[in-house]
Amino acid sequence: MAKISNSFVPKDTIIEELNPMTKILAVFSLGLGTLIFPNSWLGLIIIIGLFFVAYLAKTLKDFTKIMFGFGIPITVMLMFIQGCYSPKNVTIIAEFGFLQVGLEGVLYAFKIISTLLVFLGTFYIMNKTTYTGKLVAALTNSGLPPKAGYLVLASLNVVPQMQRRMEVIQEAQGARGVEIGGGIIARIKAYIPLLGPVVMSALTDAQERGMTLETRGFGITGVKQTSYVEVTQSNLDRILKAILILFFIIVVILTVLMKLNII
Amino acid sequence: MGKVVLEVKDFSFRYRQTKQKAIKNISFQVEEGSFFCIIGANGSGKSTLCNALVGLIPHYFVGKMSGEVFVNGMKVEDSTIADLSAKIGLVFQNPFNQLSYTAGTVAEELAYGLGNRGVSHEEMVKKVEYVAKLMRIDHVIHKNPLELSGGQIQRVALGSTFIMEPRVLVLDECTTQLDPLGSEEIFDIVKSLNQKGITVIMVDHEMERVARCADKIMVLDGGEIVAIDIPERIFETPDIVKHRIGVPDYVKICQSLREKGYTKREIEIAEEPTIELVKEALKG
Repeated sequence: MAKISNSFVPKDTIIEELNPMTKILAVFSLGLGTLIFPNSWLGLIIIIGLFFVAYLAKTLKDFTKIMFGFGIPITVMLMFIQGCYSPKNVTIIAEFGFLQVGLEGVLYAFKIISTLLVFLGTFYIMNKTTYTGKLVAALTNSGLPPKAGYLVLASLNVVPQMQRRMEVIQEAQGARGVEIGGGIIARIKAYIPLLGPVVMSALTDAQERGMTLETRGFGITGVKQTSYVEVTQSNLDRILKAILILFFIIVVILTVLMKLNII
Repeated sequence: MGKVVLEVKDFSFRYRQTKQKAIKNISFQVEEGSFFCIIGANGSGKSTLCNALVGLIPHYFVGKMSGEVFVNGMKVEDSTIADLSAKIGLVFQNPFNQLSYTAGTVAEELAYGLGNRGVSHEEMVKKVEYVAKLMRIDHVIHKNPLELSGGQIQRVALGSTFIMEPRVLVLDECTTQLDPLGSEEIFDIVKSLNQKGITVIMVDHEMERVARCADKIMVLDGGEIVAIDIPERIFETPDIVKHRIGVPDYVKICQSLREKGYTKREIEIAEEPTIELVKEALKG
């Protein structure tokens, strides 16, 4: 399968083989579970687990980069804001001159960070290991209207074509003496004469694309659409889906019990 | 006359934003399995007519229409474009605008229309393999369509139209943006489809090709039909150039030899007979 719009590159891994709906369920089950759970421990455990999943998906290097690249700055920022200035701060755990760091703020910052990283990590792995065509086919099979599916795919795939069109117009303008290189100001200036031709050609293209779609049965109603991309559901998918649903139910029960101070 | 697959009766059309009619009261019939060419200068109404044949007029382009178009007995006005796509297909100039932009591979692009019809996966795979071979794109079937050359993308577009199994193919200057090699490849495929019984309606500016392949040629000028006939009769008419129509070189050579009295033979529209005619003239 060729690489298209998203960052998916086929690597023939067990994670790649999973049904996209299993991965979507994982994003929401793990993310929402972390969000509602009263402390950050659950999120931390899931994040460690995600590193293992990324290893299985052969994306550990890129996954580590994105988790630390996002995680470190956001941790520093939230720790500073929540730790020093949260109104919930009662227990002071450190003092730096005029700055006092509160335990409640730090814990709250940890909670936010772990939730964000769980959402980011699960979504990143899903995106890296799922072919867009397969994702849309799975969503359509699950009841997503085909027109909505088309919007997702077409808006992603039309970007490279637009970029190519811009390059062609810019080259044509450059050949006629328009300054297209140089410093930042010159480059910004070069984009202004591009706007008219790019917008106009995009409108013309849209009309022709509409014609193409119509003649290929885009407007057919009352037919359950099918896809060339096969979406299968393995036993592993079924087991994982059951585990993820069970996980979320347990988290909800634990959260309620913890909020009621029963455990 | 054989079975009529397409019939246009007193058809006129004016686009909403224009004052003049793009097509003025035209009527003609196309026989099943024939190779029918439409020629004419820019603005003569060729593309408008193509759009009317496949139902884009009146279902997609808004304007004032009168008359009737029938494809395989199906009245275009009363059918949806999607229903008509099973009877008649359209391929136009720009290869890039004929991609659905939903596919990551050529195979998915070919299958897009079938998916809209709800064709089963097994059947889809069979048809994609068959059409890919026919269009000579089976070696790039797993590639991204955007990675292909213009000629290859146009073959993907032709395949995506043909896979819907229309009995009539309308080709609106579909080789204009291609290099000579890509253009000939498309044309060879179209010719082979015609030999398999598909009716071809082709708009083209390449007169040698039109003269060589058409069973019948229709000349349009200002939205009106000025002639419908076999290629030999169309191109031997001296007035044809008044309608801004180019004449094939073979015809010019024959006409010149006749005018100068070197031969009295009929006009030739192909390479080999023209060479023979020149040889004869030189001997004489």
